[in-house]
Amino acid sequence: MSPTLFQISLYASLALCALGLLWRVSTWFRIRIGPDARVVTASQRVAALFRGAAAALFTLRVFHVLGTLFLDVLLQRRLYLNDKLRWLGHLLIFVGFMALLLMHALAPVVTVKLFHGYESTRDPYLFLRNLFGAMMVIGLALFLFGLWRRRTVFAPVRRPTAAAFMGLLGFVLVTGFLLEADKIASPRAFYRMAKQFNGTSDPAELKPLRAVWAREFGVAFDDLKEPIAPEVMEKGREMHEDDCATCHAKPTSAFVSYPVARMLAPLVGLLDAGGADVWLLYLHVFACFLGLATLPFTRFHHAVAAPVGLLVNGAAPNREFSAAGRASRRALAMDACVHCGICDTHCSVAPLARYLGNPYLLPSHKLIAAGELAGGRLPRSGEEDERRRIAEGAFLCTDCGRCTDVCPVGLDLEDLWQAGCDDLSAAGLPAPAQWVQARPTLAWAESMEAQPWQQDAGHDARYAPLSADRRSFSRCVQCQTCTNVCPVVAHSMDPAYGVDLTPQKVMNLLRLGLRDLTLGSRMVWNCATCYQCQENCPEGIRVADIMVELRALAVRRLGAVRSWRAPS
Amino acid sequence: MTGVRRNSCDVAVIGAGMAGMAAALFAVERGLSCIQIGSGGGILFASGLLDLLAVHPVAERCLWQSPYTALDALAGEQPDHPLARVAPVSIRAAFESFVTALASAGLAYAPLGERNRSVLTSIGTVKTTYGVPVTMVAGADALDGRARCLLVDFRGLREFSAHQIAATLADRWPELRHQRIDFPGFETVPELYAVHLARALETVETRERTIALIRPLVGDARAVGLPAVLGLERSREVHAAFEAGLGVPVFEIPTMPTSVPGLRLLGALEAAVSSHGVRRRHQASVRALTYDGNMETATLDLEGVPGGERVTARAVVLATGRFSGRGLAADRGYVRESILGLPVHQPASREAWHKRDFLDPSGHAINRAGLRVDDAWRPLDTDGKPAWPRLFAVGSILAHQDWMRSKCGSGLAIATAWAAVEQVAHRLGATAAG
Repeated sequence: MSPTLFQISLYASLALCALGLLWRVSTWFRIRIGPDARVVTASQRVAALFRGAAAALFTLRVFHVLGTLFLDVLLQRRLYLNDKLRWLGHLLIFVGFMALLLMHALAPVVTVKLFHGYESTRDPYLFLRNLFGAMMVIGLALFLFGLWRRRTVFAPVRRPTAAAFMGLLGFVLVTGFLLEADKIASPRAFYRMAKQFNGTSDPAELKPLRAVWAREFGVAFDDLKEPIAPEVMEKGREMHEDDCATCHAKPTSAFVSYPVARMLAPLVGLLDAGGADVWLLYLHVFACFLGLATLPFTRFHHAVAAPVGLLVNGAAPNREFSAAGRASRRALAMDACVHCGICDTHCSVAPLARYLGNPYLLPSHKLIAAGELAGGRLPRSGEEDERRRIAEGAFLCTDCGRCTDVCPVGLDLEDLWQAGCDDLSAAGLPAPAQWVQARPTLAWAESMEAQPWQQDAGHDARYAPLSADRRSFSRCVQCQTCTNVCPVVAHSMDPAYGVDLTPQKVMNLLRLGLRDLTLGSRMVWNCATCYQCQENCPEGIRVADIMVELRALAVRRLGAVRSWRAPS
Repeated sequence: MTGVRRNSCDVAVIGAGMAGMAAALFAVERGLSCIQIGSGGGILFASGLLDLLAVHPVAERCLWQSPYTALDALAGEQPDHPLARVAPVSIRAAFESFVTALASAGLAYAPLGERNRSVLTSIGTVKTTYGVPVTMVAGADALDGRARCLLVDFRGLREFSAHQIAATLADRWPELRHQRIDFPGFETVPELYAVHLARALETVETRERTIALIRPLVGDARAVGLPAVLGLERSREVHAAFEAGLGVPVFEIPTMPTSVPGLRLLGALEAAVSSHGVRRRHQASVRALTYDGNMETATLDLEGVPGGERVTARAVVLATGRFSGRGLAADRGYVRESILGLPVHQPASREAWHKRDFLDPSGHAINRAGLRVDDAWRPLDTDGKPAWPRLFAVGSILAHQDWMRSKCGSGLAIATAWAAVEQVAHRLGATAAG
């Protein structure tokens, strides 16, 4: 490869990468999520970063940050606690990648300086390169296996940038192994080296060496068919010791490339004729450069953003962040999230997402919507339905906080959701509670009567198991205990805004088969889910659970009749 | 069964109604370790009044002024009745122990004597009962003397009408006046709930405003009656404040179940058994109960406990109640005992369950169905022998009684729990000594 071309490409890629990173990092101070983010300027946010960094690094907190660096960034403890298989896959890729980067890609500036007598074709480097490469291959395979295993109704968000990054990584690995295998098997490479180090490329003169390299180093000569005399081999070994041994270990250490080389042997004439060693090298190197240049815009970017996110986490708990700090942190979350989907699997309202057919209830989908909302890319009124679905997803969240607990990158997702909900309200997309309560219960009842329910039979049993099953409320004796202990009823001082039905009346409507009548009621929508009713019910009826279920049903049922107006 | 919690105790009490609570209390008072399984929710339906025995015979609706005289009569005529099988001295001891425990948990009762008391109900009828909370006893005294008395109710509290009570009793108690006031702070609320008022009265400000509203109405009344909303956990304090503020005795009248006194009783019993050291499994139920080969211990597999639990007990007290407590279960033709399938004494056929008249004064045969027990309170198997030497049954699940019509529910629960626990202690103690 021409050194000039190599240099130009390298520096161009580096420059692109740096510019891209600069742009991406600048978004951490520009993207505004949440009303409090709109009142601070970008420069205030930069200043907050420096203040925060100083506070973290020049106080005892530095130990906490170091702990985060070691446990969360390097060992990926949070991922380990969530999903051991994924952790293994990720760690294999991470370790393999870093090792290859330092030992192999950066050999001239790292390995050569540190280890005397480094030669890429000697052990342990030959072996290690294969080992690290194999680790990454296994890691990628585990990753793909995980994808297959986690097929669900709503696939986690897949962005083309993630696929591009994974594809590129795989491509670099494949070309690397092929290149090494080709070099092992290639007679052309042998002759080139022989000319350089033995001073000749005459096949006859090199016959003893060729014999040894054919037998013991896997070179696929097509003209060495006849048996070789022992004294020829002996001579060959001497030649090898004199001219080759200092730089070449036996290629069997290359436990991946060597078997590949054996498989390539029949094709090696063709490959040599086609100049495979050259173009494989180009492909390998330029794929690396492409990865470097596009790093800020592929999933690779998480290698920068996620550690920063984790370290910011380790620096201080969220409540200690200023508005400026929080704003940056939310913007950083947009980059640090890799859409691994672990949050989705722990999401309390995931069953609702399935029932409502709305993926925007799931954290990893919600995060995208939050980013688009912040970037002003929220679907405009023309796509009313999509907007409504995003709002529905945001507001049906129960703030249980599990997504934050399990996030392998330690994102404070609860804070993000709260800010996102505020943004949605500001954008004229109110919470379902608001649009439901804008109309009296009886008006809803009229709407529903005008437009009867058309649903498939299995829905109720699957997604509304309590309110659809008489057994869950038929024991109710209307004793009023639920109403008596209900703090929402107790605080409904003003009849105009208070609850219209009490919990026990909601249960009674269910008993009468009038479930629809409950859906728009203030009781259902003002329920604080404190579970007093459920805890105190002498009959053990799951009153609060039923309330939550009715709310979910209401979003769907009332949403369907929302546009209906009584004919005047 | 890996991962299942394992615990052991001397006696496992299944059930947390009045009988289960009493049995658990008495067991720990006798030094037995106890695990109690079941929800106490049924106690919410109680009025806070502790009946012992008021009506006998049921068919004649004959009211007794002394429960102990009534018990004598009962023993003579219905020796099978569970209450007739407990010695009066034990009943006295049981009640004393029970109300002492309640008092220690903040729910005080007037001293128990030899006689029943008459108290007002929220619909103006008179109920004959035995144990009366101190917050209600002034009403019994006033009723006895037909004293000049003022009843106050609150606008919006639909379950309680002072007017109705006074009107119903007008012939018998002409000196009964009634007044309606707005509950302070809830003036605009159309419908009030007793528990919300009780909580509100635990704050000094609301209490004082309420007292100030009532004070001008007292006039020459010798006592003031109110719906039972004088506080929840701090009812004694609230009641005392009303008496001090109004200058006359103040009494509560129980409202419709589920009522504030029911919540107080449940809270006090839960606090009492817990502070006595009973290990409660209040959301659990028994999935299976088996005895070991030597008949020395029973194993109870619980559900409703996260991860499950297996309790090993040296004795078991069954206090699971009747149909609403789910101790008994009936299909269209037959009544079964829910946990062990013990034989239930019951009418021979479905037709014999009920009389033709729903309100037949002598009651229905199905109400007297239940478990038959031996002299040691052990339920009998089909062969007439104890099902297990250390399985005991107490409370309303027992046969040969109709506690609702006899007005003896609390007495049945407390007395049989006492007697059965005495047997438990005797048997386990004998084993330990041997």
